[in-house]
Amino acid sequence: MAFLELNNVTKSFGGLVANDDISFSMEKGDLIGLIGPNGAGKTTLFNCISGLYPVTSGRILFDGRDITSLKAYEIARLGLARTFQVYVASGDLSVEENVMVGCFMRTRSTSKARKRAHEILEDLNLKNISESMVSELTVAAQKRVTMATALGSDPKLLLLDEVAAGLNPNENEEIMGTIRHIHDDLGVTVMLIEHVMELVMKISDRVIVLDSGKKIAEGNPQNVANDPQVIKAYLGERYVKEHEGDN
Amino acid sequence: MEAIKNAFDFSDFPRNDLFVALLVALFLLFFPFFSKSTFAMATVIQFLMFSLYGMGWNTIGGYGGQVDLGKAQYVGIGAYTTAVMLIRWDIPFWFSMPIGMFFAVCWSFIIGYPLFRLKGHYFAIATIATSLVLKDIFEVWDLVGASRGLEISPIKYIPPDFLRLIFNADIYYYYFILFFFFIGILYVNWFRQSRLGFQLRSIKDNEDVARSLGINVHWAKVKTYAIATAFVSFVGSFHACYIKNLEPEDTMSLDISILIALMAMLGGAGSLWGPIIGAAVLIPLKTYLKEWLGAMGGLLGIDLIIYAGIIMLVSAVEPKGIWGIVEKIRRRKRA
Repeated sequence: MAFLELNNVTKSFGGLVANDDISFSMEKGDLIGLIGPNGAGKTTLFNCISGLYPVTSGRILFDGRDITSLKAYEIARLGLARTFQVYVASGDLSVEENVMVGCFMRTRSTSKARKRAHEILEDLNLKNISESMVSELTVAAQKRVTMATALGSDPKLLLLDEVAAGLNPNENEEIMGTIRHIHDDLGVTVMLIEHVMELVMKISDRVIVLDSGKKIAEGNPQNVANDPQVIKAYLGERYVKEHEGDN
Repeated sequence: MEAIKNAFDFSDFPRNDLFVALLVALFLLFFPFFSKSTFAMATVIQFLMFSLYGMGWNTIGGYGGQVDLGKAQYVGIGAYTTAVMLIRWDIPFWFSMPIGMFFAVCWSFIIGYPLFRLKGHYFAIATIATSLVLKDIFEVWDLVGASRGLEISPIKYIPPDFLRLIFNADIYYYYFILFFFFIGILYVNWFRQSRLGFQLRSIKDNEDVARSLGINVHWAKVKTYAIATAFVSFVGSFHACYIKNLEPEDTMSLDISILIALMAMLGGAGSLWGPIIGAAVLIPLKTYLKEWLGAMGGLLGIDLIIYAGIIMLVSAVEPKGIWGIVEKIRRRKRA
């Protein structure tokens, strides 16, 4: 049985179908990219998987359990963590306290949560800012703090929603290193949404492409990048017509 | 064990804060020895009571960000349980107080469970409504004296009666409530460092994020609301024995609810010292205003205008209250 399995997941808001009959599966240890143009339904799909939205139809299985109708906090406790695209991290709490909120999922003890938070911050090279308020940090640092917070809950699967959005190339490299570290060294299965194609292509083992709520392609990054449907989705029909026969 | 250690752990405050806190604590401990004014004594007792109300409010309203404007209903439940039990069945304070707390917490579950489906202003308005409804019920309910109210007659008992908490000198009440004032500070100090405290701060910030970190948001709110309620109900029971005269119009009025929330917000919601600072500003203001302006009949109600002005000022200038200003200045100095 697959680690995470989506069977015909559909999510509609009134008449708008944001996710249309999506199925895919991933195994433990995968690093999968979920890409697609704006409004393709990527974040909606994350919200469905993590339980923030109830799905309209279809089934979601995680680690051998049907999580379709579980509440978000129950799913989180099973070991499925996520970050958010718009939200960065709590402005009212220091970096360390933010990470501690994540750690409190696995312990009641404040001292244990603090100890674990220290370890994670050390591991992600964030120790020097652990006392800062999150609102004082750069966007790149904030995004790494949200990843640290998610790691605090000791997840088996981590869903990253646009952690590289709005960063400069240097920061991009840094974030990529962090993702690699989480996946390779900490052994967390990762699925990331990104609309910076380049980053996803470099880092993912496999890519899933959404467009207008439908899954239009899946496969290794090179194949997907050359898929005419994907090019059409990203660059428009005219571009494809104009460049027909180029290669 | 760790809980007790954390309750006494103030290490994350700067040394200056702790020094000021120590001075204030010493002042409060020895206050009765150098002040012989009963008026000042009564004012400080009010200050201690409202600090405790505010500390309770601060758990859900400050750390959790759920503005509750209906705390008077729990003052009423605590006060009336103690008064009715004492007058009708001669059940002393130490038994009626936990029973009152139990009733209040049960009531908080009954209304908290559905009300926490609401958010922001809607929640605040709903708490006002339930509080007013309960007040109206008490006004027609004969067991609790209806609108005539209840009076605990001190002549029936031989003061000092520690079991029933009936004293003839304020100094007993003073040290009793001072003791619990310190306990309250320790409790909130533990609370803010506890798992629940962290979870609430996360909820205040963003509920979806809190959920994705495994927090049962609704239950955490209901639980904390019950904690806040227990605080308020306890002081309500004390209020019954201290004031000895209960009327729904006084004990459970909207003014009380607003004053409780206002103090915490003025002092600094979501900080340990906030409700105490707020009470230290507002309670003297309130009592002196009543003395001075109350005598001039035409100006009755001007205190409410002043409270409203303070609410507007706080929300417009510094939502984190006086403590927020202190922290801002500190941060500027550091930078």
